[in-house]
Amino acid sequence: MKDYSILKLLDYGQGLFERFGVDYAMMRRMLQVKLTMDRRRVPTVFMQQQDADKRAEEEEKDSNLFVRSLWLYGLLGLIMIPIVVMGDHYMFQLSLVWAILMFMITTSMISDFSSVLLDIRDKSILQTKPVSPRTIHMAKTVHIIIYLSLLTASMTLPSLVAGWITHGFVFFLLLLTEIVLADMVIVLLTALLYVLLLKFFDGERLKDTINYVQIALSIVIAVGYQVIIRSFELIDMSLGYTFRWWQVLLPPVWFAAPFELLLHGDTSIPILIMTGLALIVPILSILFYSRLMDGFERNLQKLANNSGGGSASAGHSRLTDWAARILCRSREERTFFRFTLRMLKGEREFKLKVYPSLGFAIIFPFIFMFNALRDMGWEGMAGSWWYISIYFSGIVIPTVALMLNYSGSYKGAWIYLVSPVRYQSSITQGVMKAAMVRLFAPIFLLQSVIFTAVFGLRIVPDVAAMLLSLAIYTIICFAVFNKELPFSQSFAGKKGSGGAKTAMLLVLLGGFVLIHVAALFIPHGIWIYLVLLLILNGWLWKPKGEKDAGHSKGGQTA
Amino acid sequence: MYDESKEPVIILRDVRMKYSDRYVLQGIDLEAYPGQIIGYIGPNGAGKSTTVKIMLGLVQGYTGEVKLFGRSLAEEAYDYKRRIGYVPEVVELFENLTACEYLTFVAELYGLSYADADAKASRLMAMFELEQVYHKRMTSYSKGMRQKVMLIASLLHNPDVLFFDEPLSGLDANSVMIVKEIMAQLAAQGKTIFYSSHIMEVVEKISSRIILIDEGRIIADGSFEELKSQSQEGTLEQIFNQLTGFHAYKQLAGEFVSIVREA
Repeated sequence: MKDYSILKLLDYGQGLFERFGVDYAMMRRMLQVKLTMDRRRVPTVFMQQQDADKRAEEEEKDSNLFVRSLWLYGLLGLIMIPIVVMGDHYMFQLSLVWAILMFMITTSMISDFSSVLLDIRDKSILQTKPVSPRTIHMAKTVHIIIYLSLLTASMTLPSLVAGWITHGFVFFLLLLTEIVLADMVIVLLTALLYVLLLKFFDGERLKDTINYVQIALSIVIAVGYQVIIRSFELIDMSLGYTFRWWQVLLPPVWFAAPFELLLHGDTSIPILIMTGLALIVPILSILFYSRLMDGFERNLQKLANNSGGGSASAGHSRLTDWAARILCRSREERTFFRFTLRMLKGEREFKLKVYPSLGFAIIFPFIFMFNALRDMGWEGMAGSWWYISIYFSGIVIPTVALMLNYSGSYKGAWIYLVSPVRYQSSITQGVMKAAMVRLFAPIFLLQSVIFTAVFGLRIVPDVAAMLLSLAIYTIICFAVFNKELPFSQSFAGKKGSGGAKTAMLLVLLGGFVLIHVAALFIPHGIWIYLVLLLILNGWLWKPKGEKDAGHSKGGQTA
Repeated sequence: MYDESKEPVIILRDVRMKYSDRYVLQGIDLEAYPGQIIGYIGPNGAGKSTTVKIMLGLVQGYTGEVKLFGRSLAEEAYDYKRRIGYVPEVVELFENLTACEYLTFVAELYGLSYADADAKASRLMAMFELEQVYHKRMTSYSKGMRQKVMLIASLLHNPDVLFFDEPLSGLDANSVMIVKEIMAQLAAQGKTIFYSSHIMEVVEKISSRIILIDEGRIIADGSFEELKSQSQEGTLEQIFNQLTGFHAYKQLAGEFVSIVREA
């Protein structure tokens, strides 16, 4: 097993870890094992042994897949360069930079790393050993921090370089230090949140609560981000920064304050207070965290308790029966429709990964609407075409499509191979429809109703067109991501985050918006567009019989 | 066969465990001594694995007293686990690692040095004729091979108490013979083996003491001979059926088959 350089780096902090009562040697060993496993993907159930061996060897040469996807975060980081270099209104510029950074780091924390934090799979391996729960949990935390640091590093590298060049070395150093502090706050606060949840809830209710909190968190982040931008838009930039009391509640503003203090010599009370917060809160959260940590692993057990037990009729209500009858053409498709509804109910990891983006899907259209409302006033907005922002509820679709490949119980997928399913298309279509009905339809319905109430009945054809475009978008997303059978791969073997493909699909969503807007400029264009969409949908959703399920699955194993 | 004059290594006193509103354990009392092979049996959901998990510190929130090696189990205790070996019912290991990597890792968690662990593990693997795959990833292992790795992992640190949950599952007939003999010899050297299985023939043959639990209560405790004389049945399977109040297997099987035959 390799001795990773990151672990050697960690050795410098040995004393610190031991101060927290962590058995450093044990923790290091656990991390070494975890990092080794991260480099080796779990093959899917369908892969032949020889293939798996061959692939395993290839993978060993490649470094960690997560590491290989880091360039994408670097690209994202480029966005912040103009904000960093455009002037020296530090309070404004850096609050914005921090808002973007914290937004991105926190969302990846709650979507990508929650599953690591709440992992109970290796419980029977690690917790039966004479190692303190504190050490086990610290190993887990450090494991997350390693990846989060890599992610943050690649995301902030452009800003760090640009800052050094335009604002000098002190700026660079300050930004670097604060990045570490901010990462700490984010990791620790996320963990604290889960500790509290684990303390007060139990079993199924705990799982549900975690999912709702995730939705709420992403909504709060999205809204908070808007607040930051707004708060500075009101200020005339040339007049400089004016303090408002509520800015004390916004962490991105805290982290901007030290720049004002050190680089502009602004020693006003609010700046001092917020600089203090930027320093004290991270340190306090560490201290608080190591205390609460002890109960964490123990309480994690609650996630494994399947007390309560769902009712027998779960996923088989009259409504789903009706939906299955209306939406699915064949009996096989209906079977997979119901199957998917039930799988989605129970897949905790799936929910952990999808629900945060569900939060964004709910809130984004409204954010656009409120922006328009602010700019144009009620009358102006109600007459505009800003209802088009309903499209942004579609941002959840690529994530859903990607995640449907995975399952915590992926090994059960052999059932596809042994059961006499005739057409693979009935599997994909049934799964696709069920996922959309369960996850997307409620959001879309809610937004259509609210937007129709606001904009008037005139937008009904538009809403219909949006629904039909998003249906096509769904098919495209599934075609991009779902090359293999649903629920057939392990989350542990996930190949990257599908970031590049997701980004492309989001651009495509923008394309749909543009086409729709273009149609609005043609007289009766929307009706023509609607008819076109209807025909296209009818063609795309037609069951395709030529693909034989068994055959195409055989192809995948190769 | 075992020495009752010695101190018990395991003491459970009125251990009760509740999951939400259902009691899984309703007052378990037992003592286990060095050298005993205890067959811990009972129907599915009787509370067998919960008992074991409590002793391993995996489950909290029970009431009553649990003492291992003469010491009460505090909530944060973990050092006592050094003297315990555990084979869980479900094969759970980091299968992305090779057997060598996994076994040395586990042994190091138990406090062995890498070199000792590696030497010991490779020799034990060879005993099970697995030396060729010692450096292969366990994803390629069969169920029986994984089970052997689990057994080795539980024994590398020479523990005093062993918790084996279905240790023979997936093993071929010859390996079963070896493992049964290993257990007998370990017990002869004073180790305590706490053994759960659903295969009554095996339990009957290798256990020096059998504890039968049902619905969270101990309903029988003694050697096979003692249980036999109490219940006047010939095999452990029959005793099990009688004590758990189950007689209708023929009728149930008949109904089952007739449902299968329905269109």
